[in-house]
Amino acid sequence: MANVNWRTINVDALDPDSPANFDLSSLTPAVAPVATADVQALAGQIRQLMRGGDNEGALQGALENPPYGADDRGKEVHLAAVIEILQSIRQSDMSPILQRIYSAPGGSEALDVLMKYIYKGMAQSSTVSATRNITPQATGFSQIHSRGGGEGGGQAMSVLLSWHEKLVEIAGPGSIVRVMTDRRTV
Amino acid sequence: MSQSLRPYLQCVRSSLTAALSLSNFASQASERHNVPEIEAQSCPEVLLNPLTISRNENEKVFIEPSINSVRISIKIKQADEIENILVHKFTRFLNQRAEAFFILRRKAVKGYDISFLITNFHTEEMLKHKLVDFIIQFMEEVDKEISEMKLFLNARARFVAESFLTPFD
Repeated sequence: MANVNWRTINVDALDPDSPANFDLSSLTPAVAPVATADVQALAGQIRQLMRGGDNEGALQGALENPPYGADDRGKEVHLAAVIEILQSIRQSDMSPILQRIYSAPGGSEALDVLMKYIYKGMAQSSTVSATRNITPQATGFSQIHSRGGGEGGGQAMSVLLSWHEKLVEIAGPGSIVRVMTDRRTV
Repeated sequence: MSQSLRPYLQCVRSSLTAALSLSNFASQASERHNVPEIEAQSCPEVLLNPLTISRNENEKVFIEPSINSVRISIKIKQADEIENILVHKFTRFLNQRAEAFFILRRKAVKGYDISFLITNFHTEEMLKHKLVDFIIQFMEEVDKEISEMKLFLNARARFVAESFLTPFD
């Protein structure tokens, strides 16, 4: 105990009544745990729909059953499926599809889930390729060269960004607030 | 403005507008204190889910909302080592003058180049949409500024090299 610098101990963390030890699970609505195998089965069904050309049905199916109770692995599987659907839908079809989902019963919740996946998709691919490779300029004088370097993942991002724009137009900024405040993460 | 920059800035704008819904909230840990909860991190229930917006892996915005404060971190595009140095110098210059900027955070969040900290007191005395406009404008300007500085630097290096080598001509 002599070696421990007691001034740096966070005493709040040791007090069960302090706000630092607030039980976050009391804010989270109860979610049923989902096995990774079930998520994978669902992702398989979604891909089946997509292969059949029914992108809208695939998106709707994916958004209606978000695996809130799954572990990280299961969530990743579902995220990959959602991103795949989003990328397969053409830009001109985005607004009509979103409009139809929104007007369906429970559509507002579905679009909130979609918003969660858009933010998660943008956060996820940036952590995967965190190591940046700076290309050293051999000559140093490259004024003609444009500053276009580092477009890694730029294509996937621009799809998500245009989805985000269309989604805010339809669901409003409230859906962003619900992404921030909802303790059920995708 | 380039085609892919517009949706990026639009996304940042709507996310910031949503995140800047702040209210006064006194500290729960110590009486008569009022601290930005996102910095204190003393009560987990008032911190909200952070949002990441990225255009590509070199250009990102990280928004960390809480009940009475929002921390916004920006990663500025750096294509090569010269830009790396320029961005570092530029953000250091700004950070040293953080007091004059009100919302600038003195130190950037790890992994990002520059951070802003907006509390409920800022949103009370300043207009919210102007704050959002400021951040967007900053992001537009900083890219322009860095490319301009890089051009200047190259031109100057060329001039210096030429005048240095004339005696040997």
